[in-house]
Amino acid sequence: MVIRHYRWHTGTWAWILHRLSGMALISYLVLHTWVIHHIQRGPEEFDALMEFVTSPLFKFGELGLFGVILYHTLNGIRIVLVDLGWTVELKAQKITFWALVAIGIIALGLGAYGFFH
Amino acid sequence: MKYTVTILRFNPEQDEKPHQERYSIEAQEGWTVLDALNEIKWYRDGSLSYRRSCRHGICGSCAMTIDGVNRLACETQLATLKSEFVVEPLRHLRVIKDLIVDMEPIYTKLLEIKPYFIEKGPPPSDHERLQSPEENKKLDGLYECIICGSCTSSCPSFWADGEYLGPHAFLKVNRFVADSRDEGKAERLKLVDNRHGLWRCHTIFNCVEACPKSLNPTKAISALKRALVGGQF
Repeated sequence: MVIRHYRWHTGTWAWILHRLSGMALISYLVLHTWVIHHIQRGPEEFDALMEFVTSPLFKFGELGLFGVILYHTLNGIRIVLVDLGWTVELKAQKITFWALVAIGIIALGLGAYGFFH
Repeated sequence: MKYTVTILRFNPEQDEKPHQERYSIEAQEGWTVLDALNEIKWYRDGSLSYRRSCRHGICGSCAMTIDGVNRLACETQLATLKSEFVVEPLRHLRVIKDLIVDMEPIYTKLLEIKPYFIEKGPPPSDHERLQSPEENKKLDGLYECIICGSCTSSCPSFWADGEYLGPHAFLKVNRFVADSRDEGKAERLKLVDNRHGLWRCHTIFNCVEACPKSLNPTKAISALKRALVGGQF
């Protein structure tokens, strides 16, 4: 039993989000394989499914997927930098985290522009 | 200044599970959390139990979770806390009574990684084992650990795996691996290269946030990872 949760620092957030985005990517891979396997069921069935997955709802889903991939990639780079010993100081890893978040938001904005134009 | 201290209490001889108790105290300027606990124990409730000894941050006895972060009670000024704060025993270590936890797992893990100097040959007969000031400098930030347990009990990897060696042990491993005089590098690296070792660190940095001596176990872990991987090529 505890009274108060252990405090969430920047590193804790980075780790939890990394784990969640990783699990989301694995789920996506399963879904992706399921969609692609329709190729062997003939052109009609594949085209019907393609029509379904190009609906506006899936368009937003794709942007979400892009965001998840971006997070996992950028934080992956942050972890590599930590393991190389370049940003292993407490402050450096926090600055790296927020710098990559900023880069991620810009990339996501560019992605959104690309998706909807 | 008035403070309300909520403490997670547990007496295994009476209680089935821990419960919280609140104490209102009138604190003087400059008081630390340890002073507040002393005030409670000496004048309000003598049954409150906690470890303390040096009361100036070098013995490592009074590590506890204060407002959700591990720190030393004797080095945490009340002025840095809100007027209501929470004190709990270190997480994922067996509570003996109130704020006293069983530190045995912390010490056992430290002994597992051979926390002593290893040299194959006999010592020089006419002088100590010497190293240059530059070589000695490499040990800064590695030898100052006071084994208070703040880092390891703040680590989510340790919460998930009780057999995980823990940041305090890795810091000590690197203290010897980085020592120019030590000849046990290979066997030390072997001890941390397993499923309860280095690779379970997820670079969450809770240990660095918690360390009352501002040491950096994650940096030690990162150096050991590189030493291990570098040794493969």
